[in-house]
Amino acid sequence: MSSEARYRRLLTLYPRDFRREYGDEMLGVLMSDPRPGVPQALDLVRGAVLAHLRLAFTGQSRAARVVQIVGATLLFALALHRVSGVLSTRAVVDDPSWVTIDTTSWVRLAAWGVALAGAWLGSRWLGAAGAAVGLGNEIAVPFQSYLVTPASVRYADWFIVTAMVVLAAGLVAERGALRMRGWSPATAEGLTVRAWPLVVAAGALMVVHGMAFAYQLGSMRNGFVLVAGLFVLVFAVRQPRELRGRLAAWAAPVLITVPLMQWGFGDFIEFTVRNPDTIRPIGPLQWAAMVLIPAAAFLGVARLNNRIERDRSVNR
Amino acid sequence: MNEPTFLILTALAGESRHGYAVIEDVEQMTGGRVRLRAGTLYAALDRLRGEGLIEVDREEVVQSRLRRYYRLTGAGEQSLQTETDRLRAQATIAEGRLRARRTNFGGATA
Repeated sequence: MSSEARYRRLLTLYPRDFRREYGDEMLGVLMSDPRPGVPQALDLVRGAVLAHLRLAFTGQSRAARVVQIVGATLLFALALHRVSGVLSTRAVVDDPSWVTIDTTSWVRLAAWGVALAGAWLGSRWLGAAGAAVGLGNEIAVPFQSYLVTPASVRYADWFIVTAMVVLAAGLVAERGALRMRGWSPATAEGLTVRAWPLVVAAGALMVVHGMAFAYQLGSMRNGFVLVAGLFVLVFAVRQPRELRGRLAAWAAPVLITVPLMQWGFGDFIEFTVRNPDTIRPIGPLQWAAMVLIPAAAFLGVARLNNRIERDRSVNR
Repeated sequence: MNEPTFLILTALAGESRHGYAVIEDVEQMTGGRVRLRAGTLYAALDRLRGEGLIEVDREEVVQSRLRRYYRLTGAGEQSLQTETDRLRAQATIAEGRLRARRTNFGGATA
């Protein structure tokens, strides 16, 4: 295969718009460059990945800020749910000495509290620090029991992916401190988080869910989760149209974990249930799928959304 | 601002240049230490265009291939000036401390 044909093939890795804009020009530069070989090919692959990421993240800073605020609030509520569940049990049992809260739960609560403060203040480093510790904690919890029950990762996967999304969103989010304007937080730069009370209500329901057993509300636990999910969905629908598609891109990695775990890991769970004495760890391909599929879901929905927006602006 | 970006803006501060001319100028400026590759160069050019720091000056077709010349914008000039001032301030501090160190140790090196 000639150098030109090889370079043409590598250039197909770039997004179509990028290729249309720079493809011919890049080919000219590549053919003039007397340094063919693997490093040149790797540089093109790296450039193609960066171009895809840049395309996916373009115009995402405002949506990312909303995702950061909502995600940090819900993860904080979930961390509080775990602590409040134990505290409420201690309050109602005869002998509270056997009901203890492990350090991990406190660290998780503190970490998501810091991440939430960072999201609220518009401080990138504070948000990133809190979310990074929170993510580490979400990963550490299932791995404490991984060697005994590898399937525990299955139930924690969507927490881990949500934490990753909040961390990534915080890194690219629009800045500016939030102030309450009526019922909605808003920044001086013009961002208003509409329907905010729905997120607070969803978080509150998660905390109540944690305390349900202690207060004889165990049968309503699934109902709390469903209503909280419904609140978050209505919140997303109430956002401005230009924000909704971008929010869908950020939500995609979290939503894809449900079918991924249900169908992708079905055999694994069945094996674990049928063979409780045999440990079958998660394989390398399964690990790769758990990381790559959510990332691909984000890129896919972001690309689709960009295309829809472009078509809409052309037709306007 | 990372080094390739600084060098690309510096290359375009002299005159408008096409992609391969930027690679050659950067190599010459750095004494051969930095030789950009096409993937790195065009990722940076696309980003700098998006940020309004550079723009297309003109296009020509050479040997049936498109050759596009880029030039610095006013915002690009300002950005390069800010980065140059920052680097100069840091270099001045480093130079002063090295001079003081040589004086303190009577010219001896550790």
